[in-house]
Amino acid sequence: MVTLKDISLKNYSLDNLKLISRLREKHFNTQTEVCVERALLMTRYLVQQNGSGDNGKLNRAKSIHHYLANRKVFFPDDNLLGGTTSSRAIGAPLYPEFMGLSIWPELDTISTRKKNPQLLSSEDAEHCNLEIFPYWMDRTVLEISRKKYNNPQSLQLLEKIVYYISGKAGCISHCVPDYSRILHEGAEAIIAEAREKELLLKANSNGSLEKIHFYRSVQIALKGLVAYAKNLSVGAQKLAEVEKNPFRKKNLQAISKVCAQVPAKPARNFREATNSLWLVQVGLHAENINMALSPGRIDQVLYPFYKKDRQNGSVSVEEALNICCCLWLKIADNTNLVPEAAEKLWGGAGSTPAVTLGGVDKDGEDAVNDLTFIFLKVTELMKLRDPSVNARYHYLVNSKAYRQRVVEVIINTKAIPAIHNDVTDIATLENQGLTAEHARDYAIVGCVELASSGRDYVASGSIMFNLYSVLELSLFNGRKFTMNNEQVGPETGEVDEFRTYDEFYEAFRIQLEWMLAQAIDLNEKFGKVHQEIITTPMLSSCFTGPMDSGKDLIEGGALYNSSGASFLAFPDLCDSLNAIEQVVFIEKKYTLKELVLALADNYNGAESLRLLLKNKTIKFGTEKALAIRNSRRVVNDIYSILQAHTNYRGGSYRPAFWTMTTHAGQGKLAGAMPNGRRAKEVFSSGITPGSQAAPDLTEAFNAVAALDHKKIPGGWALNMKYTPVLLNDQREDFQLKFGDLTEGFFRNGGMQVQFNVQDYKTLIDAKENPEKYPEMIVRVSGYSAYYKDLSDAMKDELIMRTEYNLMGGRSVPLPDSYRPSESI
Amino acid sequence: MNKISWLFDRFRFSGSKKDFIKCLEEESLDFFLENILRLMDLYLSVNRKFRLNIKDFNARYAFKSLDGKIDASVIFKDSKMEVRDYVIKDTDVTVMFRDGKALKNFLFSDSPDIIASILKSEISYTGNLNYLAKFAYMANHLKYKFTG
Repeated sequence: MVTLKDISLKNYSLDNLKLISRLREKHFNTQTEVCVERALLMTRYLVQQNGSGDNGKLNRAKSIHHYLANRKVFFPDDNLLGGTTSSRAIGAPLYPEFMGLSIWPELDTISTRKKNPQLLSSEDAEHCNLEIFPYWMDRTVLEISRKKYNNPQSLQLLEKIVYYISGKAGCISHCVPDYSRILHEGAEAIIAEAREKELLLKANSNGSLEKIHFYRSVQIALKGLVAYAKNLSVGAQKLAEVEKNPFRKKNLQAISKVCAQVPAKPARNFREATNSLWLVQVGLHAENINMALSPGRIDQVLYPFYKKDRQNGSVSVEEALNICCCLWLKIADNTNLVPEAAEKLWGGAGSTPAVTLGGVDKDGEDAVNDLTFIFLKVTELMKLRDPSVNARYHYLVNSKAYRQRVVEVIINTKAIPAIHNDVTDIATLENQGLTAEHARDYAIVGCVELASSGRDYVASGSIMFNLYSVLELSLFNGRKFTMNNEQVGPETGEVDEFRTYDEFYEAFRIQLEWMLAQAIDLNEKFGKVHQEIITTPMLSSCFTGPMDSGKDLIEGGALYNSSGASFLAFPDLCDSLNAIEQVVFIEKKYTLKELVLALADNYNGAESLRLLLKNKTIKFGTEKALAIRNSRRVVNDIYSILQAHTNYRGGSYRPAFWTMTTHAGQGKLAGAMPNGRRAKEVFSSGITPGSQAAPDLTEAFNAVAALDHKKIPGGWALNMKYTPVLLNDQREDFQLKFGDLTEGFFRNGGMQVQFNVQDYKTLIDAKENPEKYPEMIVRVSGYSAYYKDLSDAMKDELIMRTEYNLMGGRSVPLPDSYRPSESI
Repeated sequence: MNKISWLFDRFRFSGSKKDFIKCLEEESLDFFLENILRLMDLYLSVNRKFRLNIKDFNARYAFKSLDGKIDASVIFKDSKMEVRDYVIKDTDVTVMFRDGKALKNFLFSDSPDIIASILKSEISYTGNLNYLAKFAYMANHLKYKFTG
């Protein structure tokens, strides 16, 4: 329910929220440090335990417990909430069981590299080199899989980098846990339930040992979390006793009191509930890598506590705002550990924990409440990369005032939040077999992915699939021309054998099906290795299903299961297919062989052909029948191929179209394409029409909305760029048109859209003079990033995205003088 | 005797270091692998701290150039490093590379050249990537130590 008189909370700013202003400034001035604490404690524990006779599941839970119970108690600043993801103010935690060892060659240089250095002390580097990494070098998911499956072809293709990325080598994490139960009942209630179920199974002679171990693991892991909170409580009290500063002393005492209560016991007020949620997140990160583990609908989860406190007068709006800002800073206290080559190609991402605001509730009623607006205000004030903020909007239920407030925050931050269409998203999830009630309670995972909160183990980052490489294989009879012409895919015909566009497309479809089968094969193999060594008892206790079935999430314990596959270079692929059909098969201006020869030589000596393909062919993002048909056909085929597979947890494969920054990095590694794109140019992001491809704004929206959203259950990222309004008297009209056009897109079937309210000139200037824009935040392709942290390729892609003049509804031409960087 | 042997190693090491730096600066890098293995072997013998890298470390590496001109293997066993001028079997990792430059890019992965090398099939490997990462650390450490 909305009781706020001013939903914009105009009276609050960083000028009068002194604590928040101070904490925020410190956050921006703090450099990321590699944190090896978890890796070191867990490794030492596991080394000691070798030969103890425990099974892997219990050992995993015990090592998590050991880390949580023994980790450093750390209060880096005056944040009102207790608990940190790592033992650094902003930490990049090392997860050696995944890809943490990839920084091994860089231990001496990671602190000083040019792009996004991450500080690592020589002492910690030595811990890594001599203690942590040697233990794990035969025990990572990747290497265990390689050995177990004898270096399968699907793994060899992964290591070629350009076909697909298989997320499970580095994480699963991507999901939205349910925090409600711990907040309302406390972790001790879940521990007691697990204990009861364990005893019941033990009493039954037929009780499954697997299930007994699962319930035992839940208790062990959660007790670790409780121990960590108790240590925080004691630590805060000790610090308070010697603290001279009155504010700090009082705050430490309050944290001590809060952490003595939660998450072990039920939260009694808003501050305890918020801190409990954060501590659960910290616990989950002890178990699961910090990659898109998303807090979800926090305005719904925390609302009962806020409402009660407001009703009994124990919290003011300002106090709630302070607590929520502190939560934002806590969520932003960690980032990913990234090796240098990956940083240059794909860097700039945080850990993308997504929060979701607004929308409808389980019954389809308006879920927007006071806390929704408080969190929108927090988003507006803080302008942080993490959390990745998403606003749900149901055009039949939510108010226009809410819609316009979301728009206002986007304009003020120039980028956040992203907006999601409740109507299409709910229908899409229902089409995947979710009940209406469960579909309505969806939240966003990581970038744009959809998941029913605490019920749907979506593992949405399982596969990132490069459509460019499939197109290349279909143009070269299964050979990877740009990699020594190696035969990779099936032989589907030389280009001069195709008599019709449909014959060529069939070759593409066969290559697509074959390559997807490889990606799925590897995901299945990795999934099985996860089942053996990376169980997730704490995360499982935050889902509907595992506590009833006695099965860990990784074994299919969740109510709903799926794996996500996201596709990159979709707009470039569509434009290429359009160009082939139009120029080769309809207009017959060139043969496919001539086109392929030009591609092989990166259009050298074929500039007139390239210009024809680039400027005179039908583009995705227009409402031309051929463009609509080809884009829908690709989406439909991807959906049919993926949904025919069942994953190792008994769930489906869900296609998605978000690309993080991979469209920039992979573009730099790719050859020329039939849409006139030269080799090494960046791809278009997500599902966004190519640079300058769609001059009419409404038409661009309509073309994307024409895709069948039910066949994109993983979600899409549509990135739009609007010229900012400079004159105040135009602002109201701009805001209204912004909201109306977004709603029109949604009414036509659009799922999601995110914006950058920036012009070419500013983005070019920010690329050339990063020091002038230290806090500039942008939407990349699904998440937010600080512009200065991005690679040159990614900055170029953001600059080249079509800029639209919203009021005129037309694109603004890219300055002729602009030249993207040659290098990465 | 040990002191004399240590001083002799230091002397040889000093010469290898110069060769190594010179080799890094050269375009062809024909002797890159030979130099880095020689330097690593010597540095292990003179630097106790560096020697910790191979304490209790048993691993077998093979390196093979695609033109067949360079074959080498390294065996770490009993805290010692042994270099052979042929390709051994039963390795933890085998690296195939076009030439010294490709191998240098791969080991000293301070740029996306490493990815370009993979894409152009200038370098490939079979076996456990983490063993290669450890070797790359040791090589990088030498480079960092001697070239700053």
